[in-house]
Amino acid sequence: MSVAAVPTMLRRPPRLLGIVAGTDHKSLGLRMFVTAFGFFLGAGLLALIMRLELAAPGMQFTSKQGYDELFTIHGSTMFYLFATPAALALGVYLVPLQIGASSLAGARWALGGWWLTILGGIVMWSGFFTARGAADVGWYAFDPLSDSPHTPGVGMDFWIFGVILSALGAILVAACLLATVVRKRAPGMTMLRIPVFTWSMVVTVLMVLTAFPALVVAMGLLYAQRSLGGVLKVPGGPLTYQHLFWFYGHPVVYVVFFPFLGAVAEAIAIFSGRRFFGYPALVVSLLAFAAGSMSVWGHHMFTTGAISNRYFALTSTGLLIPAGVEYFDCLATMWRGVIRLRTPMLFALGFLAMFVIGGVTGIWVASPPLDYHETDSYFVVAHFHYTLFGGSVMGMFCAIYLWFPKVTGALLREGLGRVHFWLTVLGLNLTFFPMFFLGQDGMPRRVADYPSSMGWEGLNTLSTVGSDVVALSVLVFLVNVAVSLTVRRPAGPDPWGGHTLEWATDSPPPPRNFRALPPVRSYAPLLDLAEETPA
Amino acid sequence: MDTRHEFGDLTHTYLPIAVAVVVVVLLLVVGFALRYRARPGRPAPSSRRSEAPRLEIAYVLALTAVAAFLLTRTFPVEGKVDRVVAHPGLEVHAIAGKWRWRFDYPAQHRSQVGTETAPTTLVVPTGATVRFTLTSVDVIHAMWIPGERIKRDAFPGRIATFDVVFGSPGFSRYGGECSEFCGLGHTDMRFSIRVLAPAQFRAWAGSR
Repeated sequence: MSVAAVPTMLRRPPRLLGIVAGTDHKSLGLRMFVTAFGFFLGAGLLALIMRLELAAPGMQFTSKQGYDELFTIHGSTMFYLFATPAALALGVYLVPLQIGASSLAGARWALGGWWLTILGGIVMWSGFFTARGAADVGWYAFDPLSDSPHTPGVGMDFWIFGVILSALGAILVAACLLATVVRKRAPGMTMLRIPVFTWSMVVTVLMVLTAFPALVVAMGLLYAQRSLGGVLKVPGGPLTYQHLFWFYGHPVVYVVFFPFLGAVAEAIAIFSGRRFFGYPALVVSLLAFAAGSMSVWGHHMFTTGAISNRYFALTSTGLLIPAGVEYFDCLATMWRGVIRLRTPMLFALGFLAMFVIGGVTGIWVASPPLDYHETDSYFVVAHFHYTLFGGSVMGMFCAIYLWFPKVTGALLREGLGRVHFWLTVLGLNLTFFPMFFLGQDGMPRRVADYPSSMGWEGLNTLSTVGSDVVALSVLVFLVNVAVSLTVRRPAGPDPWGGHTLEWATDSPPPPRNFRALPPVRSYAPLLDLAEETPA
Repeated sequence: MDTRHEFGDLTHTYLPIAVAVVVVVLLLVVGFALRYRARPGRPAPSSRRSEAPRLEIAYVLALTAVAAFLLTRTFPVEGKVDRVVAHPGLEVHAIAGKWRWRFDYPAQHRSQVGTETAPTTLVVPTGATVRFTLTSVDVIHAMWIPGERIKRDAFPGRIATFDVVFGSPGFSRYGGECSEFCGLGHTDMRFSIRVLAPAQFRAWAGSR
């Protein structure tokens, strides 16, 4: 499409009203992603301060109160305001394109979801400006610690409202995505021809719609307990809260993982020059994972003595089966391919190599006798950062490098991308690997300090250095974005040789996405075309 | 129950498998990236195959066998660690409260309480099964003895019961910790552990 065909109005810089209230799914997806990324930077900054504090024994930079606020808002922001919204934002941008639709179903509801999430973020962070500070009870805010006698102050209430708002926002966006896949697929695009990434979004939104309501209920009960009392009564109340919270709290880690796995799968197929291997097995394993995610929450409660540990050990360990299938399919796609190690592929491979460490340690803590030692220690902190940073964040950068040309029309710089990648790998391993040993040696999580006699200083210093390397890597990424948007290298419609429909239109796509759709006969329609017409 | 020993035994099963999986995946990722890297003149993908159902089913069965194997090793250990004996050698009531520990010895009519500066010291004999009944007076805490690889949550209004057999005699400063975040003093909510030979323990117990 020539530029002249785009209505003049759309070529003007977006005006304020368009930024706030535009419902085009591409613009909305981009705005959702940018705000989520802003929260990622904010929460990352909090983590840097925490690492500085822990580098040496003794209190140097923060107070204990301040430290408690830092880890609470770090974790809360990463889950409620960054990872979930960023995962959904990818879907909002890409799902209509991948299924050949011209728009998002219920786009105004999704817009409302974005507003709610931002509002939730503002409410949560404004706790820092209240008299008693922001919430300071961790991202899962167990009762009775989070009850008003133990945690008075409006910052805690702000946190509860922030969580409710962001959860409602996520539910709205997820509902729109599901409706889009169900109702708006192009002719020929059957459910078993939708691309791998879109399938990952389908299972993601299924988990959001089933698990997030439990979070809203838990937060509602917590607020009622704080303001009225008598709701979460000892001894049953605190357990009820944990059940409700973890019924959300475990699926959410897959919510913030699967869209990025989907992106990695797309990248591996594209940069191996091969059709993604084992599509039916992958679809079944994704659905099995989503179903399984609803039955594993109790592994967060092994040490409560109030649940059936063996049942939850069984369901949690069983997740290695679908996870193993996903790894098999990614590696089999690379097998005998023609692999181009462009930046998106580097991050995809980094994802496979780093997430597996989080995966096997996840099976480790799914064994109750092992978990009795590791839970609430730095071992668990290391484990879930390998899944969330080594997995989700690596996968997110894979998605960014893969689709940045589609979204902006400009390529990111390869050289800076490589520097970004290797700094990320170095930084995350320096930061998180020492934590396995610290946890094994007895360092509990959520402590602002440790006695010098414990001998934990060396590993903690190493970890802090690693966190600075991660910060540097993110700076390199931001520089890359700035450079690539300033001195643009045009991407064209399909810079990578993509397999799916989003590569069959302009970069960025025009307002209704497509002028004409290629025939859809599989989950890789563009690859079908390429294979039919040899060059 | 010698929880430290049981933990060690189970890691002998889990650790080699975990390391092997990580190493194999790393080797495959790096190996494939190098082996199949695009080079000038290298032809298009030599395989257009995108499914291998029989291989995939066999692989799923193998994964299931791994999961089943891990569980058959985990369940008996869990049974042993969770079991409480009928007649423990010593009973200790552990009470957690913001942000200090108290250990009561009902049969010995003794109680261990720390001060602001000195943490509480848990005194136990070697070799005997020590029965802990753990509770909290306010929020949720957790009693963690890293040296024995054991931890239990302390809920207000609930009692957790578990047995631990302590090994060699010695003193471990800060050998016990609260591992469930419990507020401002969580960082410093530790206790020390003094493990005595049985005769010395009897002397300590009868010393008042």
